Amino acid sequence: MKTLNYLTLALAMGIFLLLGITNTQAKTDHKEFKTAQLSECFECHKSSNVQPNHDSSFIKEHRILAEKSDSNCIECHDQSFCLDCHIGGGIEQDLKKSISSKGNYMPKTHRSDFISIHPIKAMDNPQNCYRCHEANFCESCHEKLPQKGTLKIKSHTPLGTYNQTYWNSEHAKEARRNLQSCSSCHPTADVCVQCHSAKTGGVNPHPKNWRSIKDNIRDKGNPDKTCKKCHLQY
Amino acid sequence: MKLKLSLLFLALLCYTSFSNATEVTLKSSTQYLWYEDILTQDTEKDIAEYLKLNVSKIDKEGKLNIYGYGRVSKQLSSGEDVEGKLYYLYLDYKGLFNDRLDLRLGRQFVYLSAVSGVIDGANVELKKLGPVGITVFGGRNVQFDSKKEVTGSGDYLFGSAIYLNLPKNSRVELSYGVKYDDNDIARETIGFDFSTSPVKGVSLYGNTKYDVISEATSELLFGVKLQPLDRLTLKGEYYESYPTFDATSVYSVFAVDKYKEKLIEAEYRLSDNYLITAGYGREDFDEGKNANLYEAGLSAKPIKNLALNIKYEKRTGYAGSLSGLRLNGEYKIAKASIAAGLDYDDFRREESRASTAKKYWLGVNYDVRKNISVAARVEDNENYNYNHSYQGMVALNVNF
Repeated sequence: MKTLNYLTLALAMGIFLLLGITNTQAKTDHKEFKTAQLSECFECHKSSNVQPNHDSSFIKEHRILAEKSDSNCIECHDQSFCLDCHIGGGIEQDLKKSISSKGNYMPKTHRSDFISIHPIKAMDNPQNCYRCHEANFCESCHEKLPQKGTLKIKSHTPLGTYNQTYWNSEHAKEARRNLQSCSSCHPTADVCVQCHSAKTGGVNPHPKNWRSIKDNIRDKGNPDKTCKKCHLQY
Repeated sequence: MKLKLSLLFLALLCYTSFSNATEVTLKSSTQYLWYEDILTQDTEKDIAEYLKLNVSKIDKEGKLNIYGYGRVSKQLSSGEDVEGKLYYLYLDYKGLFNDRLDLRLGRQFVYLSAVSGVIDGANVELKKLGPVGITVFGGRNVQFDSKKEVTGSGDYLFGSAIYLNLPKNSRVELSYGVKYDDNDIARETIGFDFSTSPVKGVSLYGNTKYDVISEATSELLFGVKLQPLDRLTLKGEYYESYPTFDATSVYSVFAVDKYKEKLIEAEYRLSDNYLITAGYGREDFDEGKNANLYEAGLSAKPIKNLALNIKYEKRTGYAGSLSGLRLNGEYKIAKASIAAGLDYDDFRREESRASTAKKYWLGVNYDVRKNISVAARVEDNENYNYNHSYQGMVALNVNF
């Protein structure tokens, strides 16, 4: 079904291509407007029916414009402008930016003391974190936390008569909703494998489309790091 | 050290090898920073030197340029070695073959719907092929940790895109990206992007990523932006994501839930100097869990050279509640600009901690001469980790 969707998409692009060859607009060079005021931009954008950008929510929505392969960001901004936020540089001092616990400037989106509020903010579209941080970024702190193991997480709440810790019924739901946060403290998933391994007759943790994707993961990825953890044969 | 030598060598090369017309600009920023390391609970002190190089007008037509940017840093408060990050260093040749081909060679930032990152490699853009354009890039996938490069062997990144410009400011783009981790395929992604303005004051846009290995749409965004009045902009967006992992990670085999988000935002420009914003977002975490997000803001320039921003945000629901205020302002006096701000967040994590986090900061930038400026910033944080956590920086910036 998904293949069909993408074929339809490709066909639609073909039709657009035929239509487009006959009527396209030249792109405006924006270099000369580099120092213009936003109000000046609005005047021109309005007359050419192009929605203005760089407005109040531009930090959130710039991704959509920047990811276009012919985006014209570079006409006004050097790549340092992107990387100072995305990879923690700081040649242009923005006085609104704080310094992280690791000594890099943080984007302005990281308000307050971000360590205090990040478990909540990271849930507002969890993918946003991964646009700048690799998965091991979380692990680099959580693995070394002096109080590791004391985080109060619903599924980790001791439930036994003698306050033993064991996985309660919430853990599956929590893990499905935000599996990335599990990997922060359990990067190799060894704790998951204890109960989910086929070697011990564990509970199947795979997604619904597993039959369809298992060969992809085995053949394209590295089965030593994935399949072999739980299966003798794969 | 390698980085510093590379940049110095390149700067020397530029001065000696290029024609008289060649323009070389070098920006330096020497910085002293202090901050709290939450893991060690120590106050760390760093010194960092940033260098940014732009070489232009190398050839007669001005099509060939070289861009470089890097940092070396040393933690003075510990025995850490001098560390370096070369963010980019590339040769940019624009407008080859009758302005139909742009070429970038070297370390550079590349970004498409399907994939983005920093590569050591090449980026080729074919344009003006009627309404069509094609981009192809590939190379070593450069990875950084907080202070240095940590690229592994066998890490590569490749991407390509084809776009089509259409009438009514319409555009579609299909992209493809593949990421290798230690010579194994870690990600294979197809991206699709479209935008159009079918009638005056109406824009539609969308962006999606399909993870080929997980056979799942990992991100989907559809939005509409309206301008019913000259000064009023309305935005509505639907977004959903499905977490996917590198195929080289054991987490790629686990079941996950979709995250969905609907949001509406309004921006009203009262005048050139006053802007108000408001927004509401509904987040759905599947299996009956959700959250609501409310935002309101004001940007004002009440007098000449003074800019003020205030934003309030409230979140309730799954994972915790948060009520936060952010206030900052900047005033320019002759050669100086003074900025200050405060953040206040009252939060309650689900099943966990409830507390407040406060931040106060003050910063100054002063132009000593046309090409020399100094900047300084101090900040105090009060939260459950610290009664007071101070941090700051002092920078000397020179344009050569």
